[in-house]
Amino acid sequence: MNLAKRIYNWVDVRVGAGELVEKELTGYLLPTNINVWYSMGSILLFIFSIQVVTGILLLIYYVPDADKAFKSVTFIMNDVPFGWLIRMCHAVGSNMMVLILLFHMLSVLFMGSYKSPREMNWLSGFILLTMVMGISLTGYLLPWSQLSFWATTVATNSVGAVPVVGSYLVEFLRGGKLVGPPTLGRFFALHVAVIPATIAALIGAHLFFLQRTGVSTPPFGLKDTTNRWQGDSYRYESHPGGIPFLPHYTLQDLTSISVYCALFLGVVFFDPYIFFPSTAFMPADPFQTPAHIKPEWYFLPNYQTLKLFPSEFLGIAVQGAAMTFLALLPFIDRGTEKHPLKRPLFMACATGGIMLYFALMIWGHYS
Amino acid sequence: MDARSRRRFLGICLGGVLAGAGATVLYPLVSYLAPRRGSGGGSKVTIPAADVPEGAAKFFEYNGKTAVVIRQKNGALVALSAVCTHLGCVVQWQKEKEEFLCPCHGGRFNAAGLVLGGPPPKPLESIPVAAVNGIITVG
Repeated sequence: MNLAKRIYNWVDVRVGAGELVEKELTGYLLPTNINVWYSMGSILLFIFSIQVVTGILLLIYYVPDADKAFKSVTFIMNDVPFGWLIRMCHAVGSNMMVLILLFHMLSVLFMGSYKSPREMNWLSGFILLTMVMGISLTGYLLPWSQLSFWATTVATNSVGAVPVVGSYLVEFLRGGKLVGPPTLGRFFALHVAVIPATIAALIGAHLFFLQRTGVSTPPFGLKDTTNRWQGDSYRYESHPGGIPFLPHYTLQDLTSISVYCALFLGVVFFDPYIFFPSTAFMPADPFQTPAHIKPEWYFLPNYQTLKLFPSEFLGIAVQGAAMTFLALLPFIDRGTEKHPLKRPLFMACATGGIMLYFALMIWGHYS
Repeated sequence: MDARSRRRFLGICLGGVLAGAGATVLYPLVSYLAPRRGSGGGSKVTIPAADVPEGAAKFFEYNGKTAVVIRQKNGALVALSAVCTHLGCVVQWQKEKEEFLCPCHGGRFNAAGLVLGGPPPKPLESIPVAAVNGIITVG
């Protein structure tokens, strides 16, 4: 018996590892018509791990002080060996995380996987999306560049549209009347401690709900594509005769992660500054607002919406309503049909919504 | 080629690819974390002579470590590493006694860096020093 097997047996007789592997991996069966879109969650877990590792590495040299932050980032980029690689992986990875999250969300929407009894899966996923947006926004300020400073000024200013307490909320968020050193302290704490811990906890909850309800069956290639859960009692959606998670679907997960890595590293090595306008390379100057300051691509629709409405409050209210609608979708859409082509109203709304999102993004970019 | 040897060949190929990928990740990571060469002071340090009056000591960074220059009561200049040879604490200059005391475990050295008492196993490292036109050059 080789050493690896002996170690495995040693562990197995003590904690029952074999039983666990059988139950959760090799004996964990997935629907036979499962598709590549089900591997988005694994890609996201991979990205989150990369973000945590590169984030910790950046913390070694980054100084969260308004007078030193920009210099420390420049030092990481120019002087620390491979510092540019670590930072680019972190910056590009944050954008990729939002992109893959949107893909994950769209696949869940189109395959009707959000429908009961998976409301909690959807809600935890939706909160995760907002948390990822939050961690991106707070991380944006940390390099203390002109872009960071003024994009944060604009983003935090939007909160001022909330009736009655708006101006106080803005001041509370910034730690002062304007974005300044206290804002950096707050955003740094949120970015490196509060939000990552919340995301980790939410990922745990999300996976727990998945583990308890079972993987949903994709509505493709089946005659009956309706949701048969009655809501009367707890039921685990099992897939007898299905595909084992290990090794079959793990291989699909690894393939998807490899394809993602190719795309991700392609951006990191061949077009790393795709997400960096020139203002990202200038130190923050509180007395000089640069022209055409724009948020990250995923905030462009929000930015453009705010500009479209005559009152800022109306712009915020419309976005709040849209987000609330999306968060509560499983409670609003109670239909049992899961196949997208058999849900014409859903298809019309979803396609319209995606087109509007892209239109606002492009408009925001060129406006 | 039978299936077993093909599987073995593919296994070796996969192992090689994974080892290569691991090295590709590990090399930048180790380079990123490795201590930076040449940081923390150059090979020579200059100090105005007025900063070190008779009987006084001046601490500074020399080649990434703490060093000290003292002017004894007889006017002689001595430059030494200020890192105690016992467990690496920085020694303190006792002006009246003209000796160094390590506050961590009571190691004592004379003005030339030789051990007078306590646990240090060897003397403080000596550094070349010269004073020309009111400038002390250490190193």
